[in-house]
Amino acid sequence: MSGQPPQRSACSQCTVQSPDDGIVSWLGASGVTTMLLPKLSRHVGVVVLMDPPALDLALELAAVLPRVARDTSVSVEQRGGADLAMERYAAGDSAAFAQVYDALAPRLFAYLFRQTRERSRAEDLLQQTMLHIHRARDRFIPGAQVTPWAFAIARRLLVDSMRRGRREILGDGTVVDTGVASSPRADDLVQASQVAVRIELVLAGLPASQRTAFQLIKQEGLTVAEAAQVLGTTVAAVKLRAHRAYEALRAGLGEIGVGSEANDDDPESNLAAGLKP
Amino acid sequence: MKAPDSLPELPAHLRARILEAVRAEPVAPRAEGARRGALIVALGFVATTAILLAISMPNLRGRPLAYVEVLVLVWTPIAILATWAGVGRGRSMLGRSPRWLVATAVLTPVVLLLSWIPVTMYWPETLVDESETFHHVRCVVVTLALALGPFVAFTRLRRGSDPVTPWLTGAAIGTAAAAWGAVTLPLICGFTSPRHMLLGHFLPVLLIAALGGALGQWLVAVRANTE
Repeated sequence: MSGQPPQRSACSQCTVQSPDDGIVSWLGASGVTTMLLPKLSRHVGVVVLMDPPALDLALELAAVLPRVARDTSVSVEQRGGADLAMERYAAGDSAAFAQVYDALAPRLFAYLFRQTRERSRAEDLLQQTMLHIHRARDRFIPGAQVTPWAFAIARRLLVDSMRRGRREILGDGTVVDTGVASSPRADDLVQASQVAVRIELVLAGLPASQRTAFQLIKQEGLTVAEAAQVLGTTVAAVKLRAHRAYEALRAGLGEIGVGSEANDDDPESNLAAGLKP
Repeated sequence: MKAPDSLPELPAHLRARILEAVRAEPVAPRAEGARRGALIVALGFVATTAILLAISMPNLRGRPLAYVEVLVLVWTPIAILATWAGVGRGRSMLGRSPRWLVATAVLTPVVLLLSWIPVTMYWPETLVDESETFHHVRCVVVTLALALGPFVAFTRLRRGSDPVTPWLTGAAIGTAAAAWGAVTLPLICGFTSPRHMLLGHFLPVLLIAALGGALGQWLVAVRANTE
């Protein structure tokens, strides 16, 4: 753990520490919590230490905070699986499209749902995206990466959908009530969920270019190079956008007393951990 | 203050629905697609040849034969290169990078112009002609007509394929098609002065590139109703 002393946050049950060389540790927590909290800490650049009653709260918070709860990091095998399945599909194996779907659909659906906040619309956009992938069967390039291509299609269809004015997506910072706040531990949960809501608000208030770069890398698990392909820009530009989003997120969380002191002496360290091309 | 909603699971019925939609809309495998693509490109060039012959049979119109031969021989590889760079997608389904596409659209007319200078300097008598505005405009129109076949073929190949920068892809495709128009134009145009070449032969390359850029959103972009 870091040699720096823990710093008390506004949350009475939380202690904030700086990560030690990108390695996030968790004191006195269960194995499940060990898996969940690093995701939160990777997003906000801090380690959150809580008393045992707060651990359950953290788990509930994680359950209602999609970008924290869902592990969107994708293994090399999964990426390769999509590529190989698409390769087989293009080569003539019609049954392979089901594997293409299985490899891509969960991530694409997660991305589309986060952007639209509307299940039916996300499903519709996912179907359109998969059909575009299917229609490219006869011109699929051998050895081409499927994941950034699929995300680029999904993003384009999403942007077109937004432009058609069907519905305003994000931007106003409105979030949906899931009813968690009315649970028996509502007070504590509300306190803890301030962080989650703050993250939502900060991300919603970012310029679209920064938010998208941050989301593609941090939430969808794309590499910087893949995100650059999806956005049609350079790796350096994506790094800069994500870095600015990250800094805004840290500043936003600092306003509510979380993470403002964390790792300020090395702002690039956390970024570098998540922005490897 | 409200908490963000949780991420729903991917519904099982959606998988069945999408796979059913895929089955209902069969697409040929890659091998057949490649054959179809080659046929489309061939038809595009056949169209260009037909348009060329419909306008005029190849004619020297007082120019040295070697001048025309060298010009076509020098410009043909440039057009091939522009096609490879502007229409090809490299190793990515997302196509070439924006920088690459911009370079293709900008450099192709420049390289055509720069490669023409030593050729015309070798035959200095071609620096003077009696071309007028009408001739310049006619060559612009003829170049547009000659580029039409390749342009349609190239955009058909790339239809609905670019989700990132379709306007740049359209511009690069337009440039490549215009380069083929520029290659074939000297076969029938007898004017060779710098003014005519700039206005009648090189300007339309830029115009077609701009046209391709403007139409890219409709022709090569990924759209909900592309297919």
